[in-house]
Amino acid sequence: MVSSAECLEKTDEQLVVLSLKNQEYYWCLMTRYENKLLHYILKISNFGREDAEDILQEVFIKVYENLNDFDTSWKFSNWIYRITHNITISAYRKKKVNPQLVSWDYEGLNNLMESTSNIEKDAFQNLSYEKILEIINRLPLKYKEVLILKFMENKDYQEISDILHKPMGTIATLIRRAKKVLQQELAKEGIKT
Amino acid sequence: MMNKMSKVSNQVLNIIKDNRIKPKPRWYFLTKNYLIWSLFSLSVILGSISFSMVLFITRQLDWDIYRYVGESWLKTVFISLPYFWVIFLLIFLGVAYYNFIHTRRGYRFKIFSILLSSLIISIILGSLFYARGFSESLENIFREKIPYYNKMVYTWERQWMQPERGLITGTIQEIDLSRQTDFVLIDLNNNLWKIEAANALWKGKLAPYPGLKLKIIGQIKDTNIFEAKEIRIWPGEGQRRKAKGGHP
Repeated sequence: MVSSAECLEKTDEQLVVLSLKNQEYYWCLMTRYENKLLHYILKISNFGREDAEDILQEVFIKVYENLNDFDTSWKFSNWIYRITHNITISAYRKKKVNPQLVSWDYEGLNNLMESTSNIEKDAFQNLSYEKILEIINRLPLKYKEVLILKFMENKDYQEISDILHKPMGTIATLIRRAKKVLQQELAKEGIKT
Repeated sequence: MMNKMSKVSNQVLNIIKDNRIKPKPRWYFLTKNYLIWSLFSLSVILGSISFSMVLFITRQLDWDIYRYVGESWLKTVFISLPYFWVIFLLIFLGVAYYNFIHTRRGYRFKIFSILLSSLIISIILGSLFYARGFSESLENIFREKIPYYNKMVYTWERQWMQPERGLITGTIQEIDLSRQTDFVLIDLNNNLWKIEAANALWKGKLAPYPGLKLKIIGQIKDTNIFEAKEIRIWPGEGQRRKAKGGHP
């Protein structure tokens, strides 16, 4: 059995190499990403927690099966987010789930609102947290996913490009458009932008 | 080690152990990767061949005859483009793009950059194929082996076999070498024509003789009588004559 201390001192890339020799090391990788990926699935899909856990299970098994496909010169986190994204979107399209209110931490939400230009701070503060989430949830998936990766997961453009498999220029355009659509949605709620 | 926070991780580790799941071997991914790159390279090469054929066919056409047949230049281009090969070129560009974006880092490039790069490679390689005579050999093979190929491609022969529009091509059958004004021509459909060439402009300082292959601009004067205004030789005929040391 691998100890938690041993897990902590290894990088993701080292753990991938070790997992190929000893599956116990794969547990280290899974625990490192379990919470992050679970929240990511919940945010982009609107699935309930149980469904999200099923998806995460599928993700971890697929990642393990494809460990030899991972290029150690790349960031493991981008690769695992990419697989998570693909499996979640595929499940989302199959199930067509009913929207649920996803949880964003306040800091991520604040970052997003501040970067969505010229929103009057007072007006923004008048909206409830739930109302803002409801507005974000109304956005098309292609916009919602870039906003989540940028403002919640704090990924840079290159990382988002690696996760969504789109050129960086396209990512920049999507983020710009997503903010514009968000501004329009906020305007419908009477928020001046 | 097992804690509440790692619920899914623990479950998955057990599934992996219980079901003896193993990572797919490295060679599987390497083969897949090589296959994608091979298909990309193949599409670019086939695109290059298509481009060399476009080049070969268009270089053989006479682009100035629109003046003689009273058409606009644009209409001549529209009629004369070798669509068969242009379509193949576009298909292979599309296949090359599809394969490229499925390479490991392919997604980082914009569709425009990938298509433009593939096109530039096809143009360079295709021009090399053309310069080395590869497209001519291929054209001959296609004409012989592929049924209806001649109908699918607008070749210079089709361009010049339109007597009703003032264009005719064929081989001199009989000529009075002392006068060299009128002669009998057998066209590509094996029809015999009396060509009246007293006022014709012979391009390329030709000395006509039986067996010489010609392209003629003019008009039908009567049944199987064609009045020539301008006479040109076939593509490559000049070189053949020089190689033979002039006409007999």
